[in-house]
Amino acid sequence: MANSALTLSEIDAFYGDSHVLQRVSFQLGEGRLLGLLGRNGAGKTTCMNVSVGLLPPRSGSVELFGAPVTKLPPESIAARGVALVPQGRRVFKSLTVRENLMVAARVGFAGHGQIPWTAETVFAMFPRLAERRQQMAGYLSGGEQQMLAIGRALMANPRVLLMDEPSEGLAPQIVAEVMATIRKLKESGLSIVLVEQSPKLVFDIADDIVILNSGRVAVVSTAAALKQDGVDLRQHLGVF
Amino acid sequence: MTFWLLLTVNSVTFGGLLFLLSAGFSLIFGLMRIPNLTHGSMFMVGAYLGSTFLGGALGFTLDFWAAAIISALEVAVLGALMERLLLRRLAGQQLAQVLVTLGVSFMVADLCLMGWGGDPISVSTPAGLGGFVRVGLAVFPLYRMAVIGIAVVFAIALWLMLERTRLGAMIRAGVDDPQMARVVGIRVSRLFTIVFGLGAGLAGFAGMIGAPILSVYPGLDQDMLPLALVVVILGGTGSLLGSFLGSIVVGFIYNFGQALLPELAYFVLFLPMVLVLVLRPQGLFGGRLL
Repeated sequence: MANSALTLSEIDAFYGDSHVLQRVSFQLGEGRLLGLLGRNGAGKTTCMNVSVGLLPPRSGSVELFGAPVTKLPPESIAARGVALVPQGRRVFKSLTVRENLMVAARVGFAGHGQIPWTAETVFAMFPRLAERRQQMAGYLSGGEQQMLAIGRALMANPRVLLMDEPSEGLAPQIVAEVMATIRKLKESGLSIVLVEQSPKLVFDIADDIVILNSGRVAVVSTAAALKQDGVDLRQHLGVF
Repeated sequence: MTFWLLLTVNSVTFGGLLFLLSAGFSLIFGLMRIPNLTHGSMFMVGAYLGSTFLGGALGFTLDFWAAAIISALEVAVLGALMERLLLRRLAGQQLAQVLVTLGVSFMVADLCLMGWGGDPISVSTPAGLGGFVRVGLAVFPLYRMAVIGIAVVFAIALWLMLERTRLGAMIRAGVDDPQMARVVGIRVSRLFTIVFGLGAGLAGFAGMIGAPILSVYPGLDQDMLPLALVVVILGGTGSLLGSFLGSIVVGFIYNFGQALLPELAYFVLFLPMVLVLVLRPQGLFGGRLL
């Protein structure tokens, strides 16, 4: 496997008394796309919250390119190159589209010879956002908010991009657009974690697959191997 | 006729003062969810410090405007220190914040009483603004008109800061979704200190600007704090426009209430607050920052 971009080791995390992650470990290889699957409540979003510092784990460690970031606050982890497209998009509703991008802008970690992300390059990728640049983000459609959430994450020129159910609640055509965008980002060399409930979306695009079940890692494999073996995933994912 | 006109001017003037006081209170509450009960103390300390500079402290005498600016800066530093040293440790614990800020406001009141004594200090209007303007038959005190102008200038400046700068957008992002703001890399804790300092400084400035009208006396803090509370509840927290409109409304209610129903002045003032809290808790002008 390539060098590790993001490593979660033996993570135990709690919401109050409920033990939501139990000794969860997985690795995102540099430049790879890891599909994180699991049912509702399996702990996928919690893994994201732990990775960005919103939920400090009770035990275990998080490493970014080999450097520990376990108990750092979210803004420090962001400064080290992790960006999140959160579940539910969570764009800043009372900011304009352009302001949403500007508040997240940083020089970041644009790769060698790559064009760094700016408001203009984000608008070039999502022309619909360009048309609405002066509109309040709260008035955008779901699909547009998702694009904005992705654009906002890219503005930080991250090394690791975490995407929490970017297809949630979107029309199939928009989902296809979002997946095409993710494919482009992957080709640009970004290391990506893609959280989804539906394996269909993920298997085509992911290099590696991790499946969570009730707060534990149930399966770690490559997408190719899982496809080849035709493993029965229904016990972990429900019927699709 | 003149009586009504003068009452109206007084109401708008007082509304302007209240805006300077409550804009910071509203921002602090909107961004940090801290009900800062020392806000009245900041107003009073600003007025005491300013009046001291005016009267010649440390061997030199400042003119009115320099005194107002320097006392505002000092109060801003006090506010920022209080945020860093006390309130930061109580993040998310609203009851503790209420009690701590209430306690500090009593302590500040004691210290002021010790430092400046119990007698009211009157502050004369700044040079050149002691006169009157005549509009038709009516005569308006020049200084009160100036206060209205200052409030409008500050309202515009604050609006520009919030709406047209990256810092302002970050503050609004922090009001919208503080967790997400941190995840995108905004150092929300630094914003807290800036906003707290700014809010305190504005309150201190308002104290000095208000001093020629209200004078400075023990208890000024507890007279002003409820007014700021009413403004922010009427206007909606975290909303600059709401603070502005709320301030004017409260300026009118307070002045007209005192003139027409002096024995019910507080009743007239707090009844709208109670009704808004019960019927429209987001404030008359919504919960948005603009």
